[in-house]
Amino acid sequence: MAEDIKAKLEKYRTAPFDARFPNQNQTRNCWSNYVDYYRCQKALDAKGLDTQPCEWYKRVYKSLCPISWIQKWDEQREDGTFPGKI
Amino acid sequence: MFYRSNIETYSLRLHTGNPARSAAAEESRVHLLIPLFIFISGGATMSVLALTRAALKNPDVSWDHKNNPEPWNKMEPNQQYKLLAVNMDYSKLKKDRPDF
Repeated sequence: MAEDIKAKLEKYRTAPFDARFPNQNQTRNCWSNYVDYYRCQKALDAKGLDTQPCEWYKRVYKSLCPISWIQKWDEQREDGTFPGKI
Repeated sequence: MFYRSNIETYSLRLHTGNPARSAAAEESRVHLLIPLFIFISGGATMSVLALTRAALKNPDVSWDHKNNPEPWNKMEPNQQYKLLAVNMDYSKLKKDRPDF
């Protein structure tokens, strides 16, 4: 599985089509991947596993999300006011 | 009945056909409006159905925050929500996100 992820990350061009968000409004796609990245890190850290697979989510949200949103959410996470459940 | 009184000479009269017939022997012309009713009721039905579908099936909508907080995560990778998807072969999609 980790090798698959490494191979996929090597070949990464942009965020792939996600059937959960088929329409023009991709806000939730951005949000979902951002939150999934930090949840993945937290879950794999708790299990003591390598967090390399989580990089997929990071690449996707960096492709999709406006930089201002990422900065705002990063600040909120540091302050402890992030509205999502991680 | 065809003699115009003095008042009527100077007042505007709409050309509504034979005035006596419309007044005395009323015939309903509602049947001419039936196609209009069909289109309006069809449109109203379709809009109600669309809203209901969005309320119940849209993966962005969550009515029960406790038991179903993120309904979009419950979708299959090749599940189609759109009614008409052009140029998108949903059967070929596979899951490509890592599990955790």
